[in-house]
Amino acid sequence: MTIAHYLLLLTLLGSLALAQGTAGQSDATAKTVIGPGNVDLADGAAALRIGEAEDGVRLTQRGLATAGSRRDRVAGYSNLCAGLVMLDRLDEALEACNRALELDDGHWRSYSNRALVYLKQERYEEAERDITACEGLNPNARTLKTIRAMYRDAVDPVSPSIIIDDRRDATPDEADR
Amino acid sequence: MKRTGSCCLPAILLLAMSAAAEESRVTRLEDGGHERVPLNTVAPAYPAIARRDRIEGDVQVCFDVDREGRPYRIAVRHSTNRVFEKPAIRAIRASRYQPLPEDQAVPAIKTCRTFRFRLESATAD
Repeated sequence: MTIAHYLLLLTLLGSLALAQGTAGQSDATAKTVIGPGNVDLADGAAALRIGEAEDGVRLTQRGLATAGSRRDRVAGYSNLCAGLVMLDRLDEALEACNRALELDDGHWRSYSNRALVYLKQERYEEAERDITACEGLNPNARTLKTIRAMYRDAVDPVSPSIIIDDRRDATPDEADR
Repeated sequence: MKRTGSCCLPAILLLAMSAAAEESRVTRLEDGGHERVPLNTVAPAYPAIARRDRIEGDVQVCFDVDREGRPYRIAVRHSTNRVFEKPAIRAIRASRYQPLPEDQAVPAIKTCRTFRFRLESATAD
């Protein structure tokens, strides 16, 4: 696994919607949850979290077949999108993300996942648009900073450089303060 | 006080070091104006968060060097961003200077080194 793949996996894991423990709740009720309502969605999310993409996708698809609430379906499609990105099935991933966003256009994790799809497809303008949408919804998300960095690295790559200045009159550049 | 290491060096010596900290290009600037002669110069790692957020900055670290060439009493004198301070201190701690002969006094003057953390466009020529 390359560093890029590892980074992508970490980002995707951070982008998983929380199906576990909330699956089965109706949209506006049920503050007390006794076990997950949709076991497959919860298990699918758990599998994706540990990087088991094939199992995660399979369980999530099964969970979506019986998902009742809009919230479960949004989380399910968003997770399905993440899992399909892990499997590099990008067209299907995009479709799943689009389904999630059709159901809830304020779901930041779906924007974040879709931005990753676009990045992998080298559709940078669309990726940027989703990252911006995501920043508007949840500006402090750690996942988002990673995705923003991946976007920058794709469109404007940089390489680090260290200058070791042993000159007697060397001082920090005040302009950097 | 006897000075060492300043007589034969050009005004500015630019050395590109290939054995750099991971993936960083390392450049050294020297004028031979210091009391102690570097023996093993360790470059700091570019902090991942700074790289991610495209932050550049400078840190000047000053320290004493003992007779054996080990830096001690290491302290940051100037810094443009705290994110660079730990890597800079670690790099100094791992660096070494040439030991002094027994008949030579250890200079009382501090040695200072400035690290400039920069991000260069990877698409440039």
